[in-house]
Amino acid sequence: MMMEQAVKRQLRRSRDNGGGRAVAVDRRICFLTVSTAVAVLTASLSAQTADSLAIRFSGMTAVTGYEQSMTDSLLALLPGSVRDRTGNVTVSLGRGAPKRLVYCNLDEIGYAAGNITDDGYITLRRVGGGARLYPLFDQQLEGQRVTLFGRRGPVPGVVAVRSTHLTRGRPTGNEAPFTVDNAYVDVGAASRDEVLSLGISLLTPVALTKRPQRYGNGLLAAPNAGRRAACAALASAALARPRVRGTVVVAFTVQSLYADTAGLKTVVNLQGPFTDARMVTLPSKFPDTPVETVSLPDVAALMADVVKWIGGSQ
Amino acid sequence: MILALAAILAIQDTSRVSEAQSVLSQLVESYGVSGSEAPVREVVKRLLPGWVKTETDTAGNLWVRTGQGEGPVVIVAHMDEIGFRVDTINADGTLGLRNRGGFILSLFEARPALIHTDRADIPGIFLPRDSGLTRRTPPPLRVSVGATTRAGAESLGVKVGQTITMPKQYVRLAGTLATGRSFDDRMGCAALILALRTLDRSKLRHPVVFLFSTREEIGLEGAGAAARQLGTATRRVHAIDTFVSADSPLELQNFAVAKLGAGAVARALDNSSITPPAYVDSLAGIARARGIALQIGTTNGGNDGSTFVPYGVVDVPLGWPLRYSHSPVEIVDLKDLVSLADLVRAVAEDW
Repeated sequence: MMMEQAVKRQLRRSRDNGGGRAVAVDRRICFLTVSTAVAVLTASLSAQTADSLAIRFSGMTAVTGYEQSMTDSLLALLPGSVRDRTGNVTVSLGRGAPKRLVYCNLDEIGYAAGNITDDGYITLRRVGGGARLYPLFDQQLEGQRVTLFGRRGPVPGVVAVRSTHLTRGRPTGNEAPFTVDNAYVDVGAASRDEVLSLGISLLTPVALTKRPQRYGNGLLAAPNAGRRAACAALASAALARPRVRGTVVVAFTVQSLYADTAGLKTVVNLQGPFTDARMVTLPSKFPDTPVETVSLPDVAALMADVVKWIGGSQ
Repeated sequence: MILALAAILAIQDTSRVSEAQSVLSQLVESYGVSGSEAPVREVVKRLLPGWVKTETDTAGNLWVRTGQGEGPVVIVAHMDEIGFRVDTINADGTLGLRNRGGFILSLFEARPALIHTDRADIPGIFLPRDSGLTRRTPPPLRVSVGATTRAGAESLGVKVGQTITMPKQYVRLAGTLATGRSFDDRMGCAALILALRTLDRSKLRHPVVFLFSTREEIGLEGAGAAARQLGTATRRVHAIDTFVSADSPLELQNFAVAKLGAGAVARALDNSSITPPAYVDSLAGIARARGIALQIGTTNGGNDGSTFVPYGVVDVPLGWPLRYSHSPVEIVDLKDLVSLADLVRAVAEDW
């Protein structure tokens, strides 16, 4: 609005002054002012896009190796994007040399259905993690909502926990953390057949149900918020129609947490060689917990930085 | 898609199950940590039938009186839920907490938090432990609202004494099962409401008090106040509360055995009261006469009715089977709620 008023003021002055040269100067000022206004508006909209995408992406699930539903969303979001056989989503901007790569890792450590018991509970195996795993990672499942991404769509479930009342008067000595071996997923079914009828089978991906929480001054808490916010910044940068130096391949890579970063290597082998590559990351607090926290202004700043990088600035 | 599944399940429901779900879901999605039950009390009032006149006593209990004569039967369900209270606002802007009720602390660690105020809730997070401590139980929990100073937290509206929970949602599972937090004891409140909606007042042979009580989780305090008021005049009391069930892959099966979906449960022996066997038999007879599914069992926990026992009143607590008590993912079967509502109505009209 302030920009609009400035433009109107300039036009008014030009009418008041009369005279061709003054008008020409004022038209240039007017053009510059409108351009600035458009740039400011675009930056503001892009920041909004980055914010809303960070929240949206943080609500998505992409268990490593089973990222398809999130990559479906990315394909719908990004014009001209394609998915390779490994599952990476890429979009190529610009043309000619140099050819550079900018990417984010979109996958997460999660679980897959490992077995279904006769009485309708689902047991799990973890996908991803290994030696780097936060020692209490599995414990974060206990007594919480999970979503099972079955063949007939997402199915709500919970991870069983002992009833507080029934622990009373009984020794509780076991202070070892809860592990995935203790996890029984309850979808309300009473038999294996009932579980199968819901579209759940062995290998169905399972993850904590996500409800991103905004709090404080521009903070966002969610599982894997750092990774998802980084991907949001990258997607917003690609959507902002940035100026491009040479060719830039924008990639949202899968399986970064498994099989020796198979996703990134696939992108490099299929679309490289690249003269330069940048992994887009965002610092977060409380990593590997369900309340991993990022600052939304940081997401917008990261997006602006990625736009610059795509344009050739360091 | 989850909504689609819920829609399919809803189509399959009987009208009784649908009504039960409609009442229960509204109760479950309101917040009322012990001592701060006002939001739940308002939802209860809204769901009661039009003929009901309510009174709220100084303990916060909501009373519904019906029937004529002396010596009321009291049917009581509690409105409160477990949670936390803001005990301190620390210099670094984090909030120190005091538990309200008993539960497994780790289930709240590193989760979204809501600080409940008279106006809008303030969002925050239960902080993850900040040490390398890898045993199961965390140190005392703290909450962050994103502030880094005491003044910053206060400027967001945080005050000592406010209550804290985590966000909750009623969610349907397969069949007629549902999950959420605070089914204990919103199921009891729902059973009273559903019973009142169908109650035939002309059949009542004595007064009946339907009592929605406060502060059960921190020592049966609301019911205790009502018991002091009614005293020895009370004819009989029925606490309508959770039957914590061992119907779970993690529990021992040596007691608390009551299957979800198999109907209401006579909570004949718990940590606070013992129902005289003759009364259990009478209850079973009433259920049989009306064709109401009833299980009989023993479980852990105390119940509001036990506060009447010192006045010479017999406590015949009734419940429904609950999995994963006092956790964010309690599970119930809506069929059991229908059965329990029928039983509440039956003991009011026939006994």
